[in-house]
Amino acid sequence: MDEKIAPHLEELTRALGDLEKSGIRAEFEKLLAFRVPPEVAKESILRKFGGKQRVLKVKDLSANLKGFEITGRVLDIGEKAIRPQEGAPQDRPSRLYTGVLADETGSVMFSSWKVLHCSVGDAINVRNAYTRLWQNRVKLSIGEQSTVSKVPDSGLPPISEISKSPTKKLLEVGAADFSVGTIACVLQLSHREVMVRGKQSRVISGVLADETGRLPFTAWTELPGVDIGSIVRIEEAQVRMFRGMPSVNILSGTKVSPVGGEEAKKLAFTFDSVRKDPSPLKIEDIAARDGMFDIAAAGNVVSVRPGSGIISRCPECGRAVQKGSCRVHGKVEGIRDMRIKAVLDDGTGTMSVMFSRELAEIIYGKTLEEAEELMFSDISKDAVYEDLRRILTGRYLAVRGNSSLNEYGISFVAESAWVPEDDLAVRVVELLHRLGSDETDGQVREIAGSEGGEGFA
Amino acid sequence: MKRTGRYGKLQVPREVRALLKREVAKRVFAREFEACRELEKPSPDAAEKAASKDSKTPNLLISPLGLIFNRVFVVGVITELDSVGTQNEMWKARIVDPTGAFTVYAGQYQPEASIFFSTVEVPSFIALTGKARIYEPEPGSVFVSVRAEEANVVDEEIRNRWVVDTAEQTVERLEAFYDALSSGYHGEELQKYLLERGVSSELAEGISIVLERERAPGEFAKLLRISVKEGLKALNFDAGDSAGAEVDQKEFVLELLREMNAFKGVDYAAFVDAAVSRGIPEEVVEEVVRSLLSSGQCYEPRIGIIRLVG
Repeated sequence: MDEKIAPHLEELTRALGDLEKSGIRAEFEKLLAFRVPPEVAKESILRKFGGKQRVLKVKDLSANLKGFEITGRVLDIGEKAIRPQEGAPQDRPSRLYTGVLADETGSVMFSSWKVLHCSVGDAINVRNAYTRLWQNRVKLSIGEQSTVSKVPDSGLPPISEISKSPTKKLLEVGAADFSVGTIACVLQLSHREVMVRGKQSRVISGVLADETGRLPFTAWTELPGVDIGSIVRIEEAQVRMFRGMPSVNILSGTKVSPVGGEEAKKLAFTFDSVRKDPSPLKIEDIAARDGMFDIAAAGNVVSVRPGSGIISRCPECGRAVQKGSCRVHGKVEGIRDMRIKAVLDDGTGTMSVMFSRELAEIIYGKTLEEAEELMFSDISKDAVYEDLRRILTGRYLAVRGNSSLNEYGISFVAESAWVPEDDLAVRVVELLHRLGSDETDGQVREIAGSEGGEGFA
Repeated sequence: MKRTGRYGKLQVPREVRALLKREVAKRVFAREFEACRELEKPSPDAAEKAASKDSKTPNLLISPLGLIFNRVFVVGVITELDSVGTQNEMWKARIVDPTGAFTVYAGQYQPEASIFFSTVEVPSFIALTGKARIYEPEPGSVFVSVRAEEANVVDEEIRNRWVVDTAEQTVERLEAFYDALSSGYHGEELQKYLLERGVSSELAEGISIVLERERAPGEFAKLLRISVKEGLKALNFDAGDSAGAEVDQKEFVLELLREMNAFKGVDYAAFVDAAVSRGIPEEVVEEVVRSLLSSGQCYEPRIGIIRLVG
């Protein structure tokens, strides 16, 4: 028996290192005990512990990846005692190490169930790491199956450089950023009172803009001298993810200073330029970002999704009522509402767009009451849905709102919608110009003809 | 032992997640569409290939310009509609754009589209999404068609806009294609070059595949360029009046064909004589017949005989 499995063990050792120490040997033998052929057992072990590891950078991380390798510098590390679960075996780790790991592409929070013998500034290499989504952002997890080693010469930038929060344009801010700096114009600003841990606090929230885009911000400190139209330099602000969109969080450690005079003139934007309505983006470019705030897109409605039309909402929570019951509040007397979920496609990308009642009434051309009349006058329960499909499928629409990315693709919540009007004649002239002048046509035909002849010869 | 599912969250494997995402409906003219071939990705691992055939990986096509796609969005004129199949359970339609025609099928597994085709009037402008299908009964004869998903009647404005949108995306492909052709690079080097020029990774890959495969890759691009140009010129936004007159003459020729009972076929020379005697210039008759032939509204069962599609 041993003779038979020895070559497999050898192969596993070559791929995964010391089998005894990591408990892989035990796992392998367990599979054999369940009568798994050694060949197959070896393959599943290799699959599980990842013989071939993808090497990723921080910016490549997304939720629910597993079995990859990453190298970064520890920016912060701390340990927490975890209360052992009742009935859990005693040898379960009861300490959790958390911190921040960074490379030249960004930084990411991590948590480790393994004891980490490293300190701030060390470069470490993690094999067989995985990721989870935690508080709407990606978190690097180091599990029992992961191996961690210190890298003496990592080639990574020194900690002084890597820990500096990068200065970015608003469009570039994403989930891979832990803290950022930026120069932007304050487009909206309002004060509100909130209760934080039983204490009344004043919060400023608003919208920042530069030539690349807009992002919401929240300030937990006073911002003296900052008002709508101010151009400010923000350093060491925290990035938070909310509904898949990044937002800039200004904390007590964040530096906010005005940018004026000569420096402001050199910027690629002014208050007036950022105040203009956003121009439509290609959907392909929207798909390249985690989430985007206040953007526009245009395309054809290629499908109206089921669930569009008249729905009934729970009066308590606003969730759609199905079969007379809310899935949280049980049997309720629903409030009628109308919504449209449509797929907008521009040929470069596709996104699912949600229209509220107000917008649905505009693009459908019927009010909720008119739609209700249709619903009651027709024996088909899908009368409104069918009518929506007939009116909307194929139509051109432009929308403005927020996008976020999930496992189904882009989900877009429309704040406004309209029929795009662009001058087709102008676009045709431009396209004809790009296609080249008429004089070359004959020549091209000739060449095409002669080449075709050669092809057949 | 830690299990991956310990947090109770649904774990969706990456391959499955890619399937959950809706495929983009590409904008492509009939001319480019009908010249597409099946995309065979070079896979070193034969087992992997077999596995991917079994699973629901979409049937991908590649155009002579390197566009890789499965779903299309088409707006055009429906000029023919037939009920086919042993029990007439399948609809077959022709949808014409400025460069040619799409053949579209809808059967029992496309109920939405089938219901649409059962009521649509011919001719009318329609918008349609569907999946590209390829059928190769024998080597050398390839039929590319669209299996309809959803369709709707639209107006001419939407059709014109589609023509301009599609032209724009075709021109972008043509530019990337010519750029690749003149760069002299190949394979991975070419893909890297195109990515740097702002071409999407998908198109960069497609172009490099096409350039490896085709013996005269530039040939189709030249023909398509002319075709797109003529299609754009035919939109004729400014000259509304002359376009109107053209339409009138076309209608007249068509009416004359019906009058002469061309559903059974008429002699072409006799028809031209009849038209000229009614004051239509010979070149106009020829042009109208040519456009009727290209749009599929009539055909030549024998040389010298034209027959209207009824």
